[in-house]
Amino acid sequence: MERLHFHHELENLKITVLNMAAQTRDAFENAISAYVRRDSDLAQQVIDGDRHINQIEVDVDKRALRLLALEQPMARDLRMIIGNMKISNELERIADQAVNISERSLFLSQYPPLEETAAMDRLMETSRTMLKQAIACLRDLDAQAARAVRKMDDQADEHTLQVLKSLIELMVADAPAIDKRRDKTRRSIQTIIISRCLERVGDLSTNIGEHVAFIVEGINIKHQKIQEEDGEI
Amino acid sequence: MTENVKFAIKNLDFFYGDFKALEDITLELNQCRVSALIGPSGCGKSTFLRCLNRMNDLIPATRVEGEILLDDQNIYSPSVDVVSLRRRVGMVFQKPNPFPKTIFDNVAYGLRVNGVKNKNLLRQRVEKSLKQAALWDEIKDRLNQSALGLSGGQQQRLCIARALAVEPEVLLMDEPASALDPIATQKIEDLIHELKNDFTIIIVTHNMQQAARVSDITAFFYMGRLIEAGDTETLFTRPGLQQTEDYITGRFG
Repeated sequence: MERLHFHHELENLKITVLNMAAQTRDAFENAISAYVRRDSDLAQQVIDGDRHINQIEVDVDKRALRLLALEQPMARDLRMIIGNMKISNELERIADQAVNISERSLFLSQYPPLEETAAMDRLMETSRTMLKQAIACLRDLDAQAARAVRKMDDQADEHTLQVLKSLIELMVADAPAIDKRRDKTRRSIQTIIISRCLERVGDLSTNIGEHVAFIVEGINIKHQKIQEEDGEI
Repeated sequence: MTENVKFAIKNLDFFYGDFKALEDITLELNQCRVSALIGPSGCGKSTFLRCLNRMNDLIPATRVEGEILLDDQNIYSPSVDVVSLRRRVGMVFQKPNPFPKTIFDNVAYGLRVNGVKNKNLLRQRVEKSLKQAALWDEIKDRLNQSALGLSGGQQQRLCIARALAVEPEVLLMDEPASALDPIATQKIEDLIHELKNDFTIIIVTHNMQQAARVSDITAFFYMGRLIEAGDTETLFTRPGLQQTEDYITGRFG
């Protein structure tokens, strides 16, 4: 009673979501590059490419729904379908954050750069690493690596706070003329919005890790304190 | 809350001649719960079910080792009266098997065999059983017509009513809906949900979705052994053993 056709379809669904993950990662990497290098063309490319990622999400939902309705999956197969539906939703939201960053970058590239903050560099690096690791644990279906992703979330939050603090400092610092102060405030606020997007990508990568843990182990680790889960409490 | 154990099966082996059909089964089945037995053909699940009311006694050259305790009493002990055991542990089969009698006489059959003659009491128990089997409203005006004129789904519910009329404690169901269409199957499944308030139900089914829908506990059998038993929701979403996972996800070669 091997269900060859169903398992073939399920494998295809997994491959589609992994493809979507690769495209989402590229969009996010490009969005960061566009911001750092003040590259309007690249930013526009990320914005234009989002439609394609949205389309994959719709396709994944449609195929997952069909498998649920027609194949009545059980156990790990069931978790694989539910988990991949949720993961494709997280990926689509990550791609939206990439668009948001790119839109801010289009604005910022019209002005001279702000003084760079070290916290912003660290935040970009942390969120990039979190997304990469989330995708790697999805590819490998590695629940332990999935847990490691969410342990980085506190760092991302901390860096975001540091960016906020340093940019507030910058905004309230004396500037010689009112128009320069206005420009600086505008750029700072746009940059704060970018930092929020980066922080959200960290959150969404954490969610992907949690969905992977659900697929592999069948347990819901969402909203559980990391220490509890580690058995430290 | 600790549950009351209705059946406690301990190290049960069962033989058809030299062939060992069940090996070292240890399992507890709780009172007023639905337990489903699943597994591929020939895995021993129906044999196991039939051990629970000694239906296998009717097959020559069979032998039982180990213990099956019903309310702490071994049903294979020499002092047990098999007829009274089967009154306590009723059974419904795969194919509806009404007697070629009227609807009323079918349901009253077991009571009459047990010596009930009072017409009022018979009428009351027939009505109660048919209501419990969710059949009363459909056939109350034709109790004196032949049971063979009923549809397959109605015949199966009639057989359930016949089993319930003698007020058993346990109801064994061997693929009770496999010969029925989806609507009749749905009625039987709804009925199982209702009946578990009053009876302990043990059901054998090839339909895993049915096991998942109707049961509280599921036991997976393979090649005469009990592989895994546990809470149905857990077993179908997160089974403990790879063998169970492979069976329920259709990866069994």
